[in-house]
Amino acid sequence: MSTHDEERVKELLRQALKPVESEPESSRDLWPAVLKRLDEPSIQVPWFDWTLLGCLVGLAAFFPASIPVFLYYL
Amino acid sequence: MNTHTYLRAYLAGIFLPTLVLPLLLIFVVVRLAYHVPIPVEQMLIFPMAVVPLLWGLWNMLWLCSYPHLHQPIGLHGAVLPLLLMPMGATLASALGVLAIGSHGVVWFGVCSVPYTLIAPVFLGALAGYYLVWKYIVGFLNRVLGIA
Repeated sequence: MSTHDEERVKELLRQALKPVESEPESSRDLWPAVLKRLDEPSIQVPWFDWTLLGCLVGLAAFFPASIPVFLYYL
Repeated sequence: MNTHTYLRAYLAGIFLPTLVLPLLLIFVVVRLAYHVPIPVEQMLIFPMAVVPLLWGLWNMLWLCSYPHLHQPIGLHGAVLPLLLMPMGATLASALGVLAIGSHGVVWFGVCSVPYTLIAPVFLGALAGYYLVWKYIVGFLNRVLGIA
């Protein structure tokens, strides 16, 4: 293959294959959404649930015989 | 990930009760090794065989009924003791695990629960089930993509 042929093949390949462009960027900035997600508390426990948990712990503390009964139903 | 949703709901439901099983097996090992004269096997039938099954089915029922009722999973779980406690007490009484005395009921031959404390214990079970279903089963349902 002569030099001329090689140049011709290269030219044909350039015409057939489009140049690879870099990945287009997102139309909006995602960093504020990431920061907002990081600032969100993982779980929010309402006061009512804390009260229930406290009552349960109190019941088990003042009446330990209830613990095996609870385990029986778990 | 929209396939086998009921299977995933069942698996999420049985997760916590099956975690308790190894703890219960300790009692079996202690009984066999040290010949403790307490019928541990009879005690374990309900928590090992019935409770996990009902938890799984109850979570499947929640998944099935949620599009129509939109009930919170915590409240749905808090209803389960209304079904479980009579069943467990009936089975325990039949197997000799629960004895009814003059001042209260005696669990496992050692844990005496006076009649005046049955209501608080029952309310405690409702509260415990509410919390466990809201935070643990609800979390598992989200992880498995069904909530």
